[in-house]
Amino acid sequence: MTVDITSKPRRIALGCEGSANKLGIGVILHEGTPGTPSERITVLSNIRHTFVSPPGTGFLPKDTARHHRSYFVRLAKQALAAANVTIDEIDCICYTKGPGMGAPLTSVAIAARTLALLWGKDLVGVNHCVGHIEMGRAITGAAHPVVLYVSGGNTQVIAYAEQRYRIFGETLDIAVGNCLDRFARALAISNDPAPGYNIEQMAKKGKVLLDLPYAVKGMDCSFSGILTRVEEMAALLKKGELKGPEGEEVTAEDLCFTLQETVFAMLVEITERAMAHVGSNQVLIVGGVGCNERLQEMMGAMARDRGGSVYATDERFCIDNGIMIAHAGLLAYETGFKTPIEESTCTQRFRTDEVLVKWRK
Amino acid sequence: MATPEATGFPCALTLNVPFPDSRLASVALQALRVDKELSPLVTRELSTVAAEGATDQTVLRVVYKAATNRMLRVAVNSFFDSLALVLEVMEELDVDVIEARQKQEKTT
Repeated sequence: MTVDITSKPRRIALGCEGSANKLGIGVILHEGTPGTPSERITVLSNIRHTFVSPPGTGFLPKDTARHHRSYFVRLAKQALAAANVTIDEIDCICYTKGPGMGAPLTSVAIAARTLALLWGKDLVGVNHCVGHIEMGRAITGAAHPVVLYVSGGNTQVIAYAEQRYRIFGETLDIAVGNCLDRFARALAISNDPAPGYNIEQMAKKGKVLLDLPYAVKGMDCSFSGILTRVEEMAALLKKGELKGPEGEEVTAEDLCFTLQETVFAMLVEITERAMAHVGSNQVLIVGGVGCNERLQEMMGAMARDRGGSVYATDERFCIDNGIMIAHAGLLAYETGFKTPIEESTCTQRFRTDEVLVKWRK
Repeated sequence: MATPEATGFPCALTLNVPFPDSRLASVALQALRVDKELSPLVTRELSTVAAEGATDQTVLRVVYKAATNRMLRVAVNSFFDSLALVLEVMEELDVDVIEARQKQEKTT
């Protein structure tokens, strides 16, 4: 381990992610000189298993942690076999330090520590949000985008300045994905493969746009009031008492359509304002909600009007995964960063702007 | 020395977990001692000790003290969950196990 990491032509990291209901393990390869355009990034493997709770319920920390513990070894074996690497070739083990749910984070951290100790590798603690951003940049090639990070636990508009990912705007209460997930519970929409995916499919068949609160507050937004209202509407719908603006019949599909249009319009508005602030015309959408094609479409229309474009990835990289943790961890490791075992704790709160982004100019 | 009763932590339990060698006992110790007990009503001390009549520190010793038996049960159960994960990783993903598996895959 005395080898200078920056002078190695091939650098490989294994990443372990488990901050919410997905357990992900991935192996990434970096070639060329770190921090230069010559650096090439190859995904060697990216394995994920999701804990899916029954319709009408959410995933609880205790059950999710149990899921991660029982699948960790299986996924690690698959990730190693798919990557076709030997332990000798791996430079470091990366794990999600936070933010996320405590018990699932800790269960994966314990396994990651054990691997690092058994294999004699350095350990690297990674900020989950920074993982999303770096993976999105690597896959799409967006050089200096405004980032919209939208998932079940986070909603932030981010721009890079002076070695920090600065938060320009964020949710004041619950995340947009949490709003969607909990709405899905109200209508007992299936959580398989994901509640947001099923809402998206239903919304495609929706036609009636109902009135919902619109809660943008400066650079920030709020979703809890919208959730309360849409839950009330879901209850009325079940009783057959919900009517459209012209007294017409309203379906669950219409409600999905209404909710998506409203919350996505809010996200587009705060993203556009951040773009105007920093003078960027690129938008990068990351996080689980980011694979929603309707959101990508609305964001694309806004970006086109500004003479720019939207960058997004598909579910392999948008939804939580191990490869993004491996990638962001390896970027930090190449600058000399490592997490000593005795300091390798997890933290439920870990803001994006706390991380010193040493690998960018 | 203060007795458990005197410190307000009257419920105590000591676990001795034997490992095949001192390396694995040390790995378990380092992997498990990082996360703090979440409750202020539970204390935990981890160490490695030698088995009776031996010199190598192959036994992981865990001393739990808690304010109530309920707290003690919750903390110890959670510890066993974590320990089981560490043991599974050791069994299935230690260097020699993986190398043997990779060699076997190459020949078949």
